Amino acid sequence: MTVMRDTVVKSLARVTVQADENGLIPEYEVLVNLLPVALLNTFMERIMAAAPPERKAEVEAGLVRAAYECGYHTGCGIITSDIFNEVVLPMVTEGEKDILRGAYAAFTAWGWAKSGIVQLKEAEKMVIRAFDYYEADSGGDGLRGFMLRGLSQAFFDLAYADPYPDGMDTFVCHQTKGIEAGDPYGEFIVVKK
Amino acid sequence: MALRLEYSHDDETHRNFLNGQPVVMHSHHYLALITKLVEDLADMSAPEILRDAVEDTMRAVFDDYIAKNGLTSAQDRCNVGREYFSVFGLGKMVITGDENGGEIRLLRSHVDEGWVKKWGVHNKPINHFTCGYVAAMFGAAFNKPARSYVVTEVASIAAGDSEGKFIVKTS
Repeated sequence: MTVMRDTVVKSLARVTVQADENGLIPEYEVLVNLLPVALLNTFMERIMAAAPPERKAEVEAGLVRAAYECGYHTGCGIITSDIFNEVVLPMVTEGEKDILRGAYAAFTAWGWAKSGIVQLKEAEKMVIRAFDYYEADSGGDGLRGFMLRGLSQAFFDLAYADPYPDGMDTFVCHQTKGIEAGDPYGEFIVVKK
Repeated sequence: MALRLEYSHDDETHRNFLNGQPVVMHSHHYLALITKLVEDLADMSAPEILRDAVEDTMRAVFDDYIAKNGLTSAQDRCNVGREYFSVFGLGKMVITGDENGGEIRLLRSHVDEGWVKKWGVHNKPINHFTCGYVAAMFGAAFNKPARSYVVTEVASIAAGDSEGKFIVKTS
């Protein structure tokens, strides 16, 4: 058996996070927040619009970095969490490949991106397609999947780079297609840095 | 007043909603790095961009809830923002004031505590996010247009204070 995506998505979609008496959500070894998508997209577009042409790459890199570090640290908490152990690990028969399949099912279930792996060469390359992701609604010019870029890079690092927390920045993710740019899906390619 | 919370999930897109608003989970790493990014881009007025983006988008969330629930008193309207703050996992606040301004005590703070977890105590306040949030809260409570309030962070958990403090004044 390998990871059955639909089963994982259905199981994880039922998981909701709730704040404690201090208004904090400690989960997956981090503090979680639950924010309106409009806030994240509005900030992203305004900061990109404010950047002069020669600094847009710097701003874009900062936004990807935020998602990357969030994905790397939170991702480690997710793939070692009770819920991941309970739902995904019993189906894992192909090691890191299946962990990654489970991770993209989790991305889908938790509303980050309706996404999955379409090509995977272990420890070398991964191609992701996303058919819905919140950054596609941002209304900006050009490719805007900064969050999924960061998350994809993070999870490939977690799967194939040195063990956590020493494997950061081993791989890099580029976006090659985007719903926001008129393509039917977003496409993201992870390769060695 | 206890905020009514309705969580829903779109089985086709798999997006999540809270009281009809699309929401998404991230961690303290994300907001700490966004905060650091705006600090690093201060010459581009990035802290102000973050504050204004938070004010405008949170205001829409508060106004939507207030309209749907027919809230009329300033206290109830203000409590929408205060209670949402905790629901979003952003921490816990105590509010005093009126339409001319006020003071917020931040007893717990996702942004500040996240910053400290990641980088340790900083040499100055960094919570631009909550400045924008508080401006939205006061605007919604007293039905004032955006940028009616100026919020200044005068004590900061990220900077080593035991709690955060924000002073609210009319602009």
